[in-house]
Amino acid sequence: MGSRPFLLVFLAAVGAGMVFAGFSTADFVEHLDRQVHSIHCSFIPGLAEAETGASGCKTTLMSPYSSVLRSWIWGGIPISLPGLAVFSFLLFRGVDLLINRRPDDKEPALFLFAATGVPVLTSGVMGYLSLVELDAACKLCIGIYASSAVAALAAGLNYRQAAAAAAEGTPEYDNFDGSASPWPARVSSFVVGVSFVIVPILVYGILAPDHARFVGTCGTLPKPKDDHGIMIDLDRNASGAPAIEIFDPLCPACKGFENRLEASGLMPQLNRKAVMFPLDNTCNWMIGSSMHPGACVVSEAILCAGDKAGPVIDWAFEHQEEIREKTSANPDAAANMVKAAFPDLASCIGTPASQTRLNRSLRWAVANQIPVLTPQIYVNNQKLCDEDTDLGMDFALSRLLAQQNGGR
Amino acid sequence: MNPTLHLGLAALFLLIPSGLTAIWIGSAKDRLQEAEASPEAQPEVAIAAAADEGYCAADLKKVLRRVLQSCGLLSSGEVRGCQPLEAKNVATLAGDDFNALFLPLADRAGIIQFDKNSAELDAGDTALLDRIFADQRGGSYFFVVARSSPEGSEVVNRALSQARGEGVLNHLRATFKDPDLEKEVGLLWLGEEFAQLDTEFCKWQRTGDEACQPQDLNRSAFVAWIDCQL
Repeated sequence: MGSRPFLLVFLAAVGAGMVFAGFSTADFVEHLDRQVHSIHCSFIPGLAEAETGASGCKTTLMSPYSSVLRSWIWGGIPISLPGLAVFSFLLFRGVDLLINRRPDDKEPALFLFAATGVPVLTSGVMGYLSLVELDAACKLCIGIYASSAVAALAAGLNYRQAAAAAAEGTPEYDNFDGSASPWPARVSSFVVGVSFVIVPILVYGILAPDHARFVGTCGTLPKPKDDHGIMIDLDRNASGAPAIEIFDPLCPACKGFENRLEASGLMPQLNRKAVMFPLDNTCNWMIGSSMHPGACVVSEAILCAGDKAGPVIDWAFEHQEEIREKTSANPDAAANMVKAAFPDLASCIGTPASQTRLNRSLRWAVANQIPVLTPQIYVNNQKLCDEDTDLGMDFALSRLLAQQNGGR
Repeated sequence: MNPTLHLGLAALFLLIPSGLTAIWIGSAKDRLQEAEASPEAQPEVAIAAAADEGYCAADLKKVLRRVLQSCGLLSSGEVRGCQPLEAKNVATLAGDDFNALFLPLADRAGIIQFDKNSAELDAGDTALLDRIFADQRGGSYFFVVARSSPEGSEVVNRALSQARGEGVLNHLRATFKDPDLEKEVGLLWLGEEFAQLDTEFCKWQRTGDEACQPQDLNRSAFVAWIDCQL
């Protein structure tokens, strides 16, 4: 085998990448049981406990970027699965290089180096999306990015070492299978690499449980009519299917739902109206302690804005964490912030009329006996199951809309 | 290069992502089946409901139910209200015991004090009334208990307390335009004959002068959301 320190570093990096991608994939796949799970979010995922609360890893996992083909399969194919497959392929090539090739066999070393470009490029794209689009630092993802970078560097140095050994040793071109041209071997290696990605995806697609049977089975609203004018237009899309969203402007899951809905391309098929349901006990008696401090005031502001609620909702989503934190420390903070951002609404927020309207929203929820959670969406009065509002949203919502269009 | 070894390694390493995927999915499927088989084992989610606070003792619920039913609110939706004699009957309590039922509502209730021989609401009265009505939270029923002080004849005081109760209700109708109002408001007018308020109620949020005399307190309408489910 000779002395190949860079190859050993490469193998260690690829092994680490497999561990990170493996934990990430396992966390994703766990959700196929439609239950809530803790998520690993550590640089040493096997040793640290999985976390139940909010984390960068959870934000990333629940984002539209965590998987592909979401309309085809519930949750989609987790992007970390091809990652795991690529690392597995690289590990195969590295071990093969170590135990089945001579140290001066520079062609497979070159292919190995070239193959590391796949995880490096993917890491660049995903890292950008994670940090810029999601503003989330996912430790498992960072582990994958770092492993990819170290593996690429080590593969490059290993190739340089092999090339130097080849130059000192045999003068003739030493390719994969002994033929004159290296391209057949390169193509065959590429095909094997692609197979490493396709086979696990096919296994996933074939074995994944069928969630279509749950669509349209999660109940209806007994009294959906808006007698008090409490609903806020979200979409203004008269041609879309009428939908009611149970909405808390300071709820991270609502923001995530909005992002996923936008990314899904299904928004133009909906005409949503929002019913304010702040999970904040200053107005919502159904909550023991305030989950989203400030949500009552921001909900009032949205009701006050009426037809012009869009910018208030966008502002609330953008400043969710800041509003919640500041209101925890100072109960007046949310009112001060929203009044500073929207001076036109200052005279409306906190008045008996706006408080009564918000209370009527909550009483609408009581009349309809909805679960105390957000978000919830009812399309043509048929509920999108709570389990389908995150990873399975594209899959379930597209089918729910199809059911409605089919006149069910 | 040993091609057999090469192929063997390829198969072995291909098995890792494929096999792990199969194992993970199999495990998720098993849990899904278990959950479907025993839905009662799943964590229960709270369902939106009106409030039902600890102060909703049996006696208070009895009074509430009788006011809402006997005084023509819950079933017919017509706000008729209870007159003093009927109020005594529906309460089936001594005046002090009746008032004691409402003591836990100190933070929720307000006392709208009227001028002598008047059922007119001034700006201070309407501000307090609006504030208390807007602070519904999980309250299902809004109680308006109008009274008059013992000066003057019973008949006049009975009419005056009725006018005070209806004045409050008319203001709420005009201000909040709530189609559910008639189903939510329990209206009693007690005149001077039943359940006069004592000075303990001076500490409650109220309109009128700072100085608090029993006769001032009883030229009033006591208003509060009641957080009870019947």
